[in-house]
Amino acid sequence: MVAPIKRRAYFALQPPLSPPRRTTSRLEDHEILLQFQNPASRNLAFNQLVRKYQSKVYWHVRKMVVDHDDADDLTQDVFVKVWKHLDNFRQDAQLFTWIYRIATNECLNFLGSKRRNFLLPLNDVGAELAAKMEADPVIASDEIELKLQRAILRLPDKQRLVFNLRYYDEMPYEQMAEVTGTSVGALKASYHHAVKKVEQYVTRTTDD
Amino acid sequence: MKPAFKLDAHPRRPRPLLSNPPTDYFDKLPTRIMARLPRADERAAPATWGWLAFLSPALRTGLASVAVLGGFAASFYLSGPGPLRPAPAGTAALDAVPRTELANYLLTSGTRVETSDLATLAAAHPNMANGFLRVSDEELSAALDAQPTDDPAYL
Repeated sequence: MVAPIKRRAYFALQPPLSPPRRTTSRLEDHEILLQFQNPASRNLAFNQLVRKYQSKVYWHVRKMVVDHDDADDLTQDVFVKVWKHLDNFRQDAQLFTWIYRIATNECLNFLGSKRRNFLLPLNDVGAELAAKMEADPVIASDEIELKLQRAILRLPDKQRLVFNLRYYDEMPYEQMAEVTGTSVGALKASYHHAVKKVEQYVTRTTDD
Repeated sequence: MKPAFKLDAHPRRPRPLLSNPPTDYFDKLPTRIMARLPRADERAAPATWGWLAFLSPALRTGLASVAVLGGFAASFYLSGPGPLRPAPAGTAALDAVPRTELANYLLTSGTRVETSDLATLAAAHPNMANGFLRVSDEELSAALDAQPTDDPAYL
């Protein structure tokens, strides 16, 4: 029998969502930050940073906004903001946690402005995201997965964010707390409620 | 009875089943991002005003309002109190002429000084007669009222 891998260890060992395309060794975060301080190597260092984190940022955003074009725009916006504020980055947090936090705020602002701009009731943006999800040919063929995604998209934005970080990224609660600026206890409660809502929705919509 | 769906029993995926981005998307993305970055001189420019970025939007709006109102107040203050009734140009020019020359001119040129001329001059310089007329305002008013006039404008 294979011993179950602990969540935290699994997260640490998990390979990147998109395998690296370059064989050259990637710089460590502190090396990137050091090179970024030097005007001569600033652009090169930032290019390395983008290559290192672009896939994770893209998929983090994509899970929230579903649409590829929106995710593409937001991913670029995230890295432009990282560039502007990297000088002010305090190294008391991990670089990726800091980038994840920027990406999270961009997603929440995007979804919030979408609701405000179109004066839609709360569920309509969820319905719009669900319609985009259902139009995706990959997921349309998997009925149970489609129901699961519909259930996740019915969650409020912040709860959906917590669900994604925990369920898909398997991020430790302590790291989630840094990303979201919420306490560990509140995150655990939020995830617990999110799982219950998802399970109830899928059960309710599944035929006997 | 429907079987309850349990998330733990569902095969876990690293992300939702969504279509992947175009094949070369992550190869091109860094170049597109680098093209969007502000240039070095643009990064340096906001240094003077960079501190504004650390203020909340409400505070920035308040600061802008104070700056606009302060500008109005400063321009109003610096403009100073303007003369309510500026002296006519002709009278102002006469002020520069010495009094003796004026008296000689009036005595030798045969110019006739009308009552209306004196009235205009007295209106422009209410206290000009104090130096040579030792009378009170009441006595002066009574003397002027007693003068006959044939100018219909003053009737």
